[in-house]
Amino acid sequence: MDVIDSADPAARAATPGESAATAPDEAETFVLRVEGLNAFYGDFQAVAEVDLDIRGNEITALIGPSGCGKSTVLRCFNRMNDLIEVARVEGSVRYHGVDLYGPNVDAVEVRRRIGMVFQKPNPFPKSIYDNIAFGPKIAGYQGNMDDLVEESLIKAALWTEVNDKLRESAFALSGGQQQRLCIARAIATSPDVLLMDEPCSALDPIATLRIEELMTELKRDYTIIIVTHNMQQAARVSDRTAFFTVDAEREQRTGVLVEFGETATMFTRPTQQKTEDYITGRFG
Amino acid sequence: MTQVRRRFHEELEDLERDLMAMGEMAESMLGEAIDILVNPEHPAKKAEIEALVDRDDAVDDLYLSIERRWHEVMAMQTPVAVDLRLMSAMLHINAHLERMADVAVNIAKTARKVRRLPTSDVILGYIREMGDVARHMIRTAMESFATRNHELATQLPDMDDDVDRLNGRMYREVRKCDEDSELLEWGIRMMVISRHLERVGDHAVDIAEQVAFLLTGVFREFNEDTSPDVDDD
Amino acid sequence: MATGTVDTTTVVRKALEGKRLNVGGLVFEWGMLLLLLSSLLVLVVLLGDIVSGAIPTFRARGFDFVTSGLSLNPETAGVSTAIVGSIAITAVVAVVAFPIGIGAAIYLEEYAPDNRWTRFVDTNIRNLAGVPSIVYGLLGLAIFVRLVDVVGLGGQTGGKNIFSAGLTLAVLVLPIIIITSAEAIRAVPNSIREAGVGVGATPWEVVRHHVLPSAAPGILTGTVLTLARAFGETAPLIVIGVATGFFGAAADATVLERATGPYTALPVVVFSWSRQSVGAFGDTLAPAAIVVLLFVLFVANAGAIILRNRYEKTW
Repeated sequence: MDVIDSADPAARAATPGESAATAPDEAETFVLRVEGLNAFYGDFQAVAEVDLDIRGNEITALIGPSGCGKSTVLRCFNRMNDLIEVARVEGSVRYHGVDLYGPNVDAVEVRRRIGMVFQKPNPFPKSIYDNIAFGPKIAGYQGNMDDLVEESLIKAALWTEVNDKLRESAFALSGGQQQRLCIARAIATSPDVLLMDEPCSALDPIATLRIEELMTELKRDYTIIIVTHNMQQAARVSDRTAFFTVDAEREQRTGVLVEFGETATMFTRPTQQKTEDYITGRFG
Repeated sequence: MTQVRRRFHEELEDLERDLMAMGEMAESMLGEAIDILVNPEHPAKKAEIEALVDRDDAVDDLYLSIERRWHEVMAMQTPVAVDLRLMSAMLHINAHLERMADVAVNIAKTARKVRRLPTSDVILGYIREMGDVARHMIRTAMESFATRNHELATQLPDMDDDVDRLNGRMYREVRKCDEDSELLEWGIRMMVISRHLERVGDHAVDIAEQVAFLLTGVFREFNEDTSPDVDDD
Repeated sequence: MATGTVDTTTVVRKALEGKRLNVGGLVFEWGMLLLLLSSLLVLVVLLGDIVSGAIPTFRARGFDFVTSGLSLNPETAGVSTAIVGSIAITAVVAVVAFPIGIGAAIYLEEYAPDNRWTRFVDTNIRNLAGVPSIVYGLLGLAIFVRLVDVVGLGGQTGGKNIFSAGLTLAVLVLPIIIITSAEAIRAVPNSIREAGVGVGATPWEVVRHHVLPSAAPGILTGTVLTLARAFGETAPLIVIGVATGFFGAAADATVLERATGPYTALPVVVFSWSRQSVGAFGDTLAPAAIVVLLFVLFVANAGAIILRNRYEKTW
């Protein structure tokens, strides 16, 4: 884990499937590299000493019991924790080699490149069109907005369902459609990473499966990190899984990373007893 | 630490308990069948064989019951990790034990067919010895499963070598029976039984392999280089 | 089995269909109704008294009463001067209090750090909303009348005009505007802010494009109702020198001269007329002026509701 200063910040992620170990440039392979991450809310340490390497064009799932800090870690990736006054982050989160918490980094620009989809579908109380156009507009998008809206909706597998009602309220859509609209909205600012914070927890099973299907589609163009309470969802969609838990040896309920590896391995033969206990339901 | 999937894990325990019961039944049936076969003062009686067939029916019922519940658990509980490996192992062990019980029935039926034919003490000795080793293998394999003992499971291939060796010797002994056609007929039937017992040993080794997979998460075949060969001298 | 089902059905029926007379509940219900009716009765008597007092005026003068100005003669005296004065004061209140109040609410809700100082400010704003209006009158007299004079809007009244009145009432309603606006802003779900920030909007862009539009109906309703309150205030105006008697502007007075000159307001006219216990002013003109005042307030409230409904649909 040594420092990589030469990395080009605009470098795109390496193609998937390529063996990680042999990749010459680490910044190419790893879109995000987390080192020694500690997150605090005031005096409370939410997460301790997390090291995590996120590979490009893969889906990485963060799982673990409530309060294990997985959502906190996710929100460190696009500096969403900045919104919470008392939140503080130590350690480094490198995005294509650039530390997101560096002194000259603009959090607003970070969030355009690292999009986010939230737990509850949260479209703006505006039209479907305006929901998608808002991000690009404030970013000063110069191209054809109609095309961008269409392209984003197509990528989010929503175009055929809404192409004749773009000017209608986003609230007229079903929950699953609203969430896909939120995905389209996140895509519209052309990020290369999508963060998803329990994106299906408010959806019915069929809508959930459609989002999962969409995620595997989106993997070709984006690096996806998903926090989920649904272990089967992690098993179904993700390439790699990171298991967090509350460290019983600390005074506070601080979350730590227990195990990080290929999902297939995690769900057939995890190396850590804590992982095994959690995913098989032998955890209290 | 508290159990949060109590019902699921109780179902797993129930399945495992039934498998252990099946193991005991298969092992004792095999013992009885061989007793009927090798005991000269004990000409195979129809009632005894029928009793054994009845017990085999019970094993079959248990086999089907485990199979059905296995599918239910699989569909409804979607086990992962160690639970998934346990499920996988149990499905295999179930099938192996069911076949062992079938072997016992076959041996008993053969005993009835050959009850008037002449016998060879050497061959009967081999059969008895093979039976003893095979039963020991079943007990060891099932014990390694029950106690999650990897070391015990790895002992199975060595035991199987004994069975394979006896099976090899069997061939030579049966060839010696060619002067008497009735003895030869008996010998050929014993040859088939020997082959059956050799298969029982293989089933026991397979069970041990499943136990090893359950415990390590890696599946590998024990001594794949020494595949059994009937003609091996 | 069949008998068992029947038995269960019988048992369940008995349990579910048993009717019990809840005496305590009924007494309570009727008691509450009685209280409601008695308070309504007071209101009806009051309204009836006023309307019956006002009828002679409207019968004799008709709409002329509304369009006529102040006069010493009860036959020709009307409320038009007072209506114009009240509207002018309310306009000043709106211009001053809206931006300051809404701005303060935005700052408190969206920007202010959550610390002891902010909580102190917040608590004090709530306390200010409960201060008697006469106190604001004293404040207005001490500060705003002079301030208006100093900045050159004093005119012939030396600052005792609609500007000082508007400023005083603006300060009076400011806490209420801040509180209602802050509540409307707080009611905007946080998920909308997160969504905005999530697509790369700055805090201001989130407030401008999402929080304010979502909070607008609530803010608007609150502020319009607040204006209605300012419209009905009397006490502080009397303290800061509203004209309670007759006055008139020269025919050739400029707009500025009129605006900085003496003024009166509808509730003040009601007050001064009703003080004259004998004669037409107290008996019939004051009730008529009250009816006009109530009508204006009713229109304002209706306007607030219509405005809110319309705004909610036009996102």
